[in-house]
Amino acid sequence: MEYKVEAHRIMSISLGKIYNSRVQRGGIKLHKNLLVSLVLRSARQVYLSDYYGGVCLNAQHVEAKEWELMDGDQEKLIPASEESLPSTTACDQTEAAEVPEAPQPEETDSSLAVEGPEDPCEAVEGPEDTSSTEPQAEQESSSSVDSTCDVSVPSPVVSEPQCEAKQATVSSLDCETDANLAMSAEGNSHQPPKAHSCSNRKRSAEKKASHGSPVKRTKVTSSNADEEEAEEMDTSNVSNLITIFGSSFSGLLSKDNSEPEAETDESDSGSGQICCDQMLKNLNPWNTAIVAF
Amino acid sequence: AMAGVGGGGNDFQWCFSQVKGAIDEDVAEADIISTVEFNYSGELLATGDKGGRVVIFQREQESKNRPLSRGEYNVYSTFQSHEPEFDYLKSLEIEEKINKIRWLPQQNAAHFLLSTNDKTIKLWKISERDKRAEGYNLKDEDGRLRDPFRITTLRVPVLMPMDLMVEASPRRIFANAHTYHINSISVNSDHETYLSADDLRINLWHLEITDRSFNIVDIKPANMEELTEVITAAECHPHQCNVFVYSSSKGTIRLCDMRAAALCDRHSKFFEEPEDPSSRSFFSEIISSISDVKFSHSGRYMMTRDYLSVKVWDLNMENRPVETYQVHEYLRSKLCSLYENDCIFDKFECCWNGSDSAIMTGSYNNFFRMFDRNTRRDITLEASRENSKPRAMLKPRKVCTGGKRKKDEISVDSLDFNKKILHTAWHPKENVIAVAATNNLYIFQDKIN
Repeated sequence: MEYKVEAHRIMSISLGKIYNSRVQRGGIKLHKNLLVSLVLRSARQVYLSDYYGGVCLNAQHVEAKEWELMDGDQEKLIPASEESLPSTTACDQTEAAEVPEAPQPEETDSSLAVEGPEDPCEAVEGPEDTSSTEPQAEQESSSSVDSTCDVSVPSPVVSEPQCEAKQATVSSLDCETDANLAMSAEGNSHQPPKAHSCSNRKRSAEKKASHGSPVKRTKVTSSNADEEEAEEMDTSNVSNLITIFGSSFSGLLSKDNSEPEAETDESDSGSGQICCDQMLKNLNPWNTAIVAF
Repeated sequence: AMAGVGGGGNDFQWCFSQVKGAIDEDVAEADIISTVEFNYSGELLATGDKGGRVVIFQREQESKNRPLSRGEYNVYSTFQSHEPEFDYLKSLEIEEKINKIRWLPQQNAAHFLLSTNDKTIKLWKISERDKRAEGYNLKDEDGRLRDPFRITTLRVPVLMPMDLMVEASPRRIFANAHTYHINSISVNSDHETYLSADDLRINLWHLEITDRSFNIVDIKPANMEELTEVITAAECHPHQCNVFVYSSSKGTIRLCDMRAAALCDRHSKFFEEPEDPSSRSFFSEIISSISDVKFSHSGRYMMTRDYLSVKVWDLNMENRPVETYQVHEYLRSKLCSLYENDCIFDKFECCWNGSDSAIMTGSYNNFFRMFDRNTRRDITLEASRENSKPRAMLKPRKVCTGGKRKKDEISVDSLDFNKKILHTAWHPKENVIAVAATNNLYIFQDKIN
């Protein structure tokens, strides 16, 4: 699971940078910390989406085959599924999935299950009803999220013999997923690493974010959902990191230490404390953490 | 490979002229040059360093007596501009590093410049003294006070010539106006005001008034959790004193008109290039952050520098730049490593030549790049001690991006990322350039010059 390892590594590096920035001469550099937090968010998104998809679907991973994966998920969600696969723990599933393929079905909103349809064209239509066009209409679905998902899909994806429709399905699913995630992006992008398809979230995110305030709440909710799902998983590595930095953050955020930016103090002292408490449970408010410096 | 970059069809040939700074391999952090700026005539060249010092070089007048020293730059004045400070309220150390120097247009015999660190801007007067008054009544030649009761006659002091002394004195100190780190200062074309920008705010100052400034841009959100972008650079328009631009960490540029409102939070123009979705990665946001913005001398164009490219924008077209130049595209596949070693956060500057026909910016391995806007040719040159023979012509460099490495090419993996050229300056009228390579300042001249 190269991508997961990579995402985790980037997260660790990012946390390290944020931590080190506290002790750097000249005080916290807002610009750099903002950029680091964006990278951290993206990496976290990718990292957790893996677990998340697994938990949600509770499907077994058989081999590192994306479509089989999706088949299993399909079984859970749509009773009249064509094929049945043995159930498995989410952990196993995520562990064994091939790198570029796994996250694609799993980067979905909780309400949308990842579809690995036996017959992609049919099955996908179910969840896609909520927000997308037909799977075959690759162009249309792409356009629905203002992206060019079809650009990179063909290369890494799908171990089975591919049909156009399948590819379209994947890409449209991803696009759909991205759109949902983009809804909650707050103007930040949650994009997978380059190896993955469906990359134009940033513009979608910005366009959607501009539609009004609910954006922010959506993000918090879904992220919390992510977190809760993740907690059931073996997230020890991530938790350890948070614990390590969490204690430092709490020390930083206590009233004994003066916070570097007086202005942020006004608005953030309360939320800073809350942030500290939540830190171990909720990776979410990195902005707060950074800001509270 | 082309030998040089030139405007108007002439191929210029860049030659080594001078190098300033210690040769020592062990570089003291305080000696690292953090800004380089020619004055309006090009006669003076100022550098600021991380130690808070300013060194000003003056160009020698070309004389028949010494034809070989064609306009060499020699040290004119050195002074400590900023000292490290400690903000006790916030338990913050304030670095003395000089972030920017900007010259004022010359109005009398003295020279004025603005220098800034993260928090405080200072106006310095650099003046020459070549006469001294002698024959005071109340004090001796060595300055000791004379006993008034012993004075029996009065005399009028006379001015006597003395060795030239260049003095720098702080005339104004503009402090306490920035909560965040100052990244830019820019003198307005009215020669009375200037702006200073930090991560979230831009202030407009009058050069004579230090106890207050106008806040003209404020992008701080009510809730800092909603922060998504910061201001990265700002500049006044070279001719229209009501216009300025500022760039953001999201790769956008906003042009503002100060006549429109007191607070210029609403831009008059918004420059943004649509993103290329196929190049998405974890680090797309970082590399799209603009590190420098510079108006052309004509005022018709502006140039922005992001991590991998330089873009020229026509002020009349907001939806995309008119020219894009790749500085070191071969780094795109290395972004993760560059993130790890922090190089991805390096802020490269860029500059125009006097006629706006060419642009220059720095890269790694002490390479710097020049682009000719007319011929669309580009060249990579290196600032190194090996190429430091007087008037030695600089050889174009090439980075091998894959496949078989030719002789004289250097592979991407061999690049030294500690040798970065962040600051360059081009003489306003002639083909003379100043390139800061860590603690050394290189000056190159065109051979024809």
